[in-house]
Parts: sequence; C-alpha cells; structure tokens
Amino acid sequence: MKKYRYVKKIIAALLTSATLAVFLSDTAFAYTLPYETYNYDYRNNINFTPAAYVPENSIAGSKLLCDSLLDENGNPTVVGAFVNPQDFCIAPSGEIYVSDTGNNRIVVLNSDMTKAVQIINSFDNNGVSDTFNAPYGVCVSDNNKIYIADSQNKRIVVLDLDGKLVKIVDNPTSEILEEGFDFTPLKVTVDYAGRIYCTAKNVYEGIMVFENTGEFTGYFGTIKVSISLWQKFWRRIATKEERSKQELFIPTEFTGIDVDDDGFIYASNIDENGIQAVRRLNPKGQDVIKKGSKKNVGGDLWIDGMSDYSGPSEITDVVYRDKGIYSLLDRKRGRIFTYDHEGNLLYIFGGLGTQAGTFKAPAAIETLNDKILVLDSLRGEILTFTATEYGSLINEAVALRYDGDETKAEKIWLRVLALDENNELANIGIGKALLTKGDYADAMKYLKLGMNREYYSIAFKRYRNNLLKDNMSYILTGLIVLIIIFTVFRKYRDRKKGKVREGGLL
Amino acid sequence: MGKYFSKEKWKYAFYTLSHPMDGYYWIRHRERGSVPIAIFLVICFSFSFSMNRMLASFVVNDVDPRSVDSLNELGGILLLYGLFCVGNWAITCLMEGEGRLKDIAVALGYAMMPLIITYIPATILSQAVAADEETFYTLILVVGIVWASVMALIGIMQVHNYTLGKTLVTIFLTFIAVFIIIFIFLLIGDMIGQVYNFFYSIYTELIFRT
Repeated sequence: MKKYRYVKKIIAALLTSATLAVFLSDTAFAYTLPYETYNYDYRNNINFTPAAYVPENSIAGSKLLCDSLLDENGNPTVVGAFVNPQDFCIAPSGEIYVSDTGNNRIVVLNSDMTKAVQIINSFDNNGVSDTFNAPYGVCVSDNNKIYIADSQNKRIVVLDLDGKLVKIVDNPTSEILEEGFDFTPLKVTVDYAGRIYCTAKNVYEGIMVFENTGEFTGYFGTIKVSISLWQKFWRRIATKEERSKQELFIPTEFTGIDVDDDGFIYASNIDENGIQAVRRLNPKGQDVIKKGSKKNVGGDLWIDGMSDYSGPSEITDVVYRDKGIYSLLDRKRGRIFTYDHEGNLLYIFGGLGTQAGTFKAPAAIETLNDKILVLDSLRGEILTFTATEYGSLINEAVALRYDGDETKAEKIWLRVLALDENNELANIGIGKALLTKGDYADAMKYLKLGMNREYYSIAFKRYRNNLLKDNMSYILTGLIVLIIIFTVFRKYRDRKKGKVREGGLL
Repeated sequence: MGKYFSKEKWKYAFYTLSHPMDGYYWIRHRERGSVPIAIFLVICFSFSFSMNRMLASFVVNDVDPRSVDSLNELGGILLLYGLFCVGNWAITCLMEGEGRLKDIAVALGYAMMPLIITYIPATILSQAVAADEETFYTLILVVGIVWASVMALIGIMQVHNYTLGKTLVTIFLTFIAVFIIIFIFLLIGDMIGQVYNFFYSIYTELIFRT
C-alpha cells in the first residue's frame, strides 16, 4: 500500500504542474503589465478590469536617427537624448513635434515615430539667427503654423513648417496687466481662428488669450477660489499680522490645455480637493464640463491617507481625443484617466516606476489614431500605448452614444460585458437599448446591474403597467371570486352560530 | 409563556396602539403591559428595519445590500433601547417620575409597533412603485415614524404622570444621560484594557526573564 501512496503523490504533483504550466503560459499576459487597469463602480469601490491600453513602445531621442542631421559620410546620425522635454503635439500631417526643453530645440518625428525628420534649433529673426531658451509648450495649428512657448526668452515664437519666422508674440500689454509683468509662457494651444491660448508662470487669473495678430485680449476661464467656512473663521479671528503671514488664497494654475473640434478649450489644473481637475471652457470662458453621476472629474477617488502616495491626483495635462472622450494625465501616481462627454470614467491605467510602460515624471499626453502617447520628462521618452480589444470596444460604444446611436452600441456593449462583467456603463448601455426596443424586463435587469436608478424606474413603470393591463381581467375576476367566497363563508358561519344578519351584501 | 405572552396582554398592546393615553395609564397602574412583549416588539422592529434596508426595491433604496447585517443591527437597536430605558429611568428617578424601569421598557417597546406595521407594508409596496410614485412609500414611513414618536412621548408622559413640557425636558436630558453612560463605559473599557495590558506586560516580562 505504501508504495502506491508515493506513486499517487508523484502523479498528483505532475498533474498539478502540468495544469499550472498550461494555464500560466496561456493567460500570463495580463499579469505581465506593469500597472493595473481599474475603474470605480457606483459605490466608489475599485473594480479591476481587463487592460484597456497596453504599452507598445517607447521612443527615446538617443535611438532616433535624423534625416537632416548627417555625419561626414552622409549617413543620418542620432538625435541625442531628450533632456527634460516638457511638451509635444501632433501636427495635422501626423508628425510629432517634441519640445526638447533642456536642449533648446524642437524635434520633429515622423508619424510612425521611427525617425526624426527635422530639428529646429534656430530660426531667422529678421536677418539675425535666433535661438530658443527652454522652449516649453509647442503646438501646431490647423493651418500648419508652429507655436513655440519660448519660456526663458519670454515670448511665443510662431514659425511655419519650414522653420521660417511668422511672428513673435511677446511683451503683452494691457490695463489688466501690472507694470513690469514677467511673461513666461508655459503650455500653448491654438484654436481654429488662430487665437493663442497660453498658460504662463505665476499667472493665476486664468489662461492668457492672444488674438491671431498677437495682441493680448485678456484672461480666460478664471478658476474661482473656494474658501471653506473653517478657513473664513480662522481668518476672521486672526490679527492683521498673523493674516499677513498666512498663505494667500490663490486659485491654482492651469497645467495643460487642449482644444476640441468645436473650439471648446479643455484645461487641466491641480485641484486640492480632487473634485475637478479639468474644465471645458466655452468661447465666453465659462466652464461647461459635465461631471457625471459622481460629480467628480478629478482623477482618483480614493485619496485619503497620510502617506506620500495618497492625496488627490495632480493632473498635469489633458488631451481631447474624439467623440467627447478626453484623457487626463496624473503625475502623482502616473495614471491616465479617461472620461466620456458625460463625465463618466471609462478606464484608468498607468503607473509610476522604472519598468517599460511606466512613468517617472509624466509631462504631457497626446493621442494619435487609436494610440495614447505620453511624454516623460525625466525619462526623456515618448511612451506609446495601444488600445486592447476592451479599450477600443469602449471607445467605439461611447462614440456611438455620443452620436446618438445608442441602439447600435448594444452589440458592442455586450462584447464589453463578455470581457468585463462588472462594467456599469456597458450594462446601462444595453439596458437603454433594450428599453428603446420595448424589452422592459431585460432592460430592468441590465439597468439594475448598471445602477442606473432613473432609467430603471422608467423601465419598471412600463413593465408594471403592461403587466397590469395584460392581467386586468384575471385580477378583477379573482377579486370578485374572493368577495363571493368571503360572503358565503360568513353566511355559513352565522347560520352555524344561529345569528341573523340584517340586510346588506356583507 | 402564558403570563407574559397571554392573549390579554397582546390584545392590550394593540389597544395601546390606538388608545395610547388610556393604554399607558393602565399599564402603569394595573400591570397590563408585558416587558417580554415589549422586547419582542423591539426585535421585530429591528428585523423589519433591516428587511426594509435590504429588500426595499431598487427604485427607492440606495443601501448597499452587502452592508446590511441584520444581527448587527439587532444588537445595535437593542443596545440603544436598553440605554434609553436606563437613561430615562435614571433621569426620571431624580425628577419625581412615577414609572418603574419595566414601565419605561414597555412604553418604549410598545411604541415600536407603528414602525413594524408601517415598515413591512412599505417594503412590500416599494416593489410596485416607480420613481415618481416614491412619495407614497415615504409617506407610509413618515406616518409610522410620527405615530411611533407620539406613542413614545405619550408613553413616557403617562407612565411618569408628567406634563408634556416636563416630558420633553426629560427626553432631552435622557439623551444627555445616554451619552454620559456611553462615555463612562468607554472610559471603563479603556481603563480595564490598560490594567490588562499592565498585567500582561508583567507576565511577558516574567516569561522572558526566566
């Protein structure tokens, strides 16, 4: 007997290792990602989801060959590592303009990011060769003008695609600017009319707007300062001396700007409360963003704690993608938050670290086709992420909803559900489609899973009323039968007891 | 069972429901009430409360069913009930109240009855209401709560033979008494813990020394 026991043990061990080997080799992929993809559910619990975007590539300047930079043999040479790059942008042609801040140059990559096509070191300023000093933000307008926030030279340089100077915007003058105003432009973006929107250092009044002539027209989208009652109370009881030493209540600076197809400006800022880190500004400068059911577009919701890693997300850049979808880049935890036009969180991914696909100091985010590009200033690299099936299905379904084709989105949402059972948006999407179709019972099921009380109630009401209408004859018949039985029973009982009841039906 | 759960006592509980003034007066002076029935009613209320939180329809209910633990809630409600009875007793003893502890227990326990008989139908009704008809559901709950508060108020008033003003004052003081009791218990618990830790550290010291 003892012998057999050993044999059994060996067989069991072999089988276990075999099954483990099979399963591990098959599904290992999701676990090899250096970050987790998650979302918050209705009750703000974290739900881990399949990966929405996976790291694809990282582009470092030290590996890029440049066509226009030739060595003595006529061969292209490498561009050289990016030093502290702060911003990049995608031109209408698909070329990528990287602002290599530490090297005082703009590097232009081709749309595949396989090589550099141009390096802008200097430009011809009325016959004098002029250079950049810490170029920060860069933007290429629809009519192919390059806008460079030349921060330490205190100006915005506008070049055309060949590197010829178009104009220089500097020394903004206005009554609202104080005397000796120090203009240090940081991020810059341009709308369809050629208006320049620019964030500047130590400017808390909002985004600076310049007409396409280069004239400063005013501030845009000022963030209101919120003072809590508690702070007001303390300021009230503080003496003048104490008050002068206290922190000033100044609004936060904008950290990144982007412009959408309709000319609305998306501007990110660092919100201390973690509630609103992005604004969608209409042409009048009013915030028209939708904050979704959670009333929050501030990144992470779980921000409590005392450690360095806790606290609200620090959104450093925003990119408007397509069909109302926009992504925020968090430099605190290296995460990318993607919202739809209603302010629902679609997916969260990314993380800090040293592994491939993680960030050290993310600075800017852009989108190219279905990819998300992130510029890391400390790594000096552009990291690219490509959508998985899960991510692209969500993008597709949200785009259909944005266009008003919610019924068409149903099939896509079903596929999303197959990948992630807990996806509330998918459940709501299917529920709404079923509601339109008139399948109320199933609509209720999905809407309840999606925790959408409003639409659940609509479906329920129609379902209930249909049920009543269909069965009204049975219900009424049943009622009459019950009344008759009751009367007969009562009469029978009375007769048994010998009572006599006077008149009346009952 | 007969004495505490007899048919007369049950009938009297329902009589009190509709005639609180009269009912509570005879509970004090003719032993018509039953403490076990009162406690049973509190337990019933606790379960109907948990049931409402757990089973009321999705349209009217925003409670995460995973967070409802009926036994936990039962413990909490019984504890509050006990604390309130003791607190009220302690206060009314000093304020010339005529009620005994058992009368207070009966007064508060019987006051739970309206809650039971509104929470359960409301939970059932919630299965049939849509969002715009939610008012009916809330109305039932509000009626129950108001009715129960009136019963508790009259109960305490009659049992102690107080005026309405004095009753309100004692109820306010009762809340303070409850807080003091909780505070003292926490203090005692903390102190016992410290004493325990002291002896435990002596014990560990001895263990490690030898």
